[in-house]
Amino acid sequence: MAGFRLIDTVKPFLPFLPEVELPYEKLQFDDKVLYTVFIGLIYLFAQLPLAGIEKDIVPTINDPIYFLRGAFAAEPRSLLEFGIFPIFSTGLIMQLLAGLKVIKVNFKLQKDRELFQSFTKLMIFVQYFIFANVFILAGYYGTGLTIFQIAVLNFQLVGAGVVATLLVEIIDKGFGFTSGPMVINTIAIATNTIADIIGVSQIKIDDEGHTEAQGALINLVQGFRAKHKTILGSIVSAFNRDYLPNLTTAVIVLIIGAVVCYFQNFRVELPIRSTRARASNTVYPVRLLNVASLSLSFSYSLLFYIHMTAFALLTLVGKNDPSNIVCKILGHYENVNNILAVPTFPLSMFAPPRSFFGGLVQAPLSFVVFPAFIIVTGVWFAYKWQGISGQSARDLAVDFKEQGLTLAGRREQNVAKELDKPISLASATGAAVLAAIAIAGELLGLKGKATSMVIGICGGFSLLELITLDYQQNGSGSSLSQVLGAPTNM
Amino acid sequence: MAGEKGNQNENILESPVKFFQEGNSFLSKCKKPNFKEYMQIVRAVGIGFVAVGVIGYAIKLIHIPIRYVIV
Repeated sequence: MAGFRLIDTVKPFLPFLPEVELPYEKLQFDDKVLYTVFIGLIYLFAQLPLAGIEKDIVPTINDPIYFLRGAFAAEPRSLLEFGIFPIFSTGLIMQLLAGLKVIKVNFKLQKDRELFQSFTKLMIFVQYFIFANVFILAGYYGTGLTIFQIAVLNFQLVGAGVVATLLVEIIDKGFGFTSGPMVINTIAIATNTIADIIGVSQIKIDDEGHTEAQGALINLVQGFRAKHKTILGSIVSAFNRDYLPNLTTAVIVLIIGAVVCYFQNFRVELPIRSTRARASNTVYPVRLLNVASLSLSFSYSLLFYIHMTAFALLTLVGKNDPSNIVCKILGHYENVNNILAVPTFPLSMFAPPRSFFGGLVQAPLSFVVFPAFIIVTGVWFAYKWQGISGQSARDLAVDFKEQGLTLAGRREQNVAKELDKPISLASATGAAVLAAIAIAGELLGLKGKATSMVIGICGGFSLLELITLDYQQNGSGSSLSQVLGAPTNM
Repeated sequence: MAGEKGNQNENILESPVKFFQEGNSFLSKCKKPNFKEYMQIVRAVGIGFVAVGVIGYAIKLIHIPIRYVIV
């Protein structure tokens, strides 16, 4: 069909899609900070437990995406069962497709931009609906649900998805800093990390009614006065319990955070000089992590789609029965600790092992395929993304020309070419470095916490960078200056 | 331009060894933060992370009583 474009298919739905208005005027620095923080907190508050299902359900299937949750701020058995995954992945993939010219969008036209946004939003809602119903039909919320219960669950899961989408849109439309998914991810990851270390809530761990604290550190302290265990036993358990966060993982997660911080400021400085004024040589920094954690999020988005599809096939078609033909090909799920559904071979190749030594014995191929998948997709994405994200060598060359800058010792005509090499190399290398850090943690058995920490620290850093920049530019007269201190060069 | 990019991309995918070498030399050329800068980053990110985390966790604690009410 001539002139058919995918984004035009959204036109009939336009009147039904909710939309956030652009701000009327440029927001004050204080307002932006408030919007950013409060949207994150509203999101956290929205992770309410689901109503309408039994309290002690015995699900036929447990959590199959446990290792992907951290990267997308998804809370099991809450309204935000899938977190911001559909928002994040759809936004990312649609922009990638548009940038690679697979989807035809003319971003110069206001109308096209709006259509593109609405199309993305529609896709997000559809995905929330599909995922919710896959989980419901698979028996994740218990079996024998009445139609009314299914409707209530659908209403909650999809409704929360719509609210989350709008929350993200508020930040994206200029009320807050950076991008919505990044803010929400960072805040949710910070919260989870804190909860894993000093969380005080008591969680039932066995049928006899014993409870243990969620936080690893609190658990260690409580272990000294636990009646059902010896002191030595509780110390050992504090370091290696499998069902709740333990101190070993907490320490590894903190180390990963510190390592990512170290790589944040890696940069290659290209000498540049002005074409207008003489003897004013400066440097242009090319940052190693210029794509930040997006590459890792992209790999995890692909993983999420793979596991969601496999989950739908295995539970709805194969009934999770090892003798079924689908399960023979793809593997099936095994219940572990009554909370996790761990895939078996060959699906397990795309999941990180649950523990380092156990994984080495049970699923040695996971140690090859999973890292290879993350690195290859991450590097590919970073390479493509830097070309379309508005910071590519060509865009930069245009900027340079406008400001009358050029690379020292190079001809002015070749600036774009000369810039391309270091920038694309930096993006690809940066993606590989981040992937390597995340994988190192995942292979040690962190179940997604390593990746989420990498994403969280990267997000935190770019937020901090942007807020500092904005504060220096228009933060004078901010009532927050008492808290933030005088504008300084960070 | 497009063809050239595609070519480079293939090189990256086809020869991981070359990519590894290039990446490695890129990393060694990088200007690395010194200890003082590094501590500054860790402190700034760390304080922000912990502050937001504690506030967030306080909000999550509200969920515990709610869980008993609505479930």
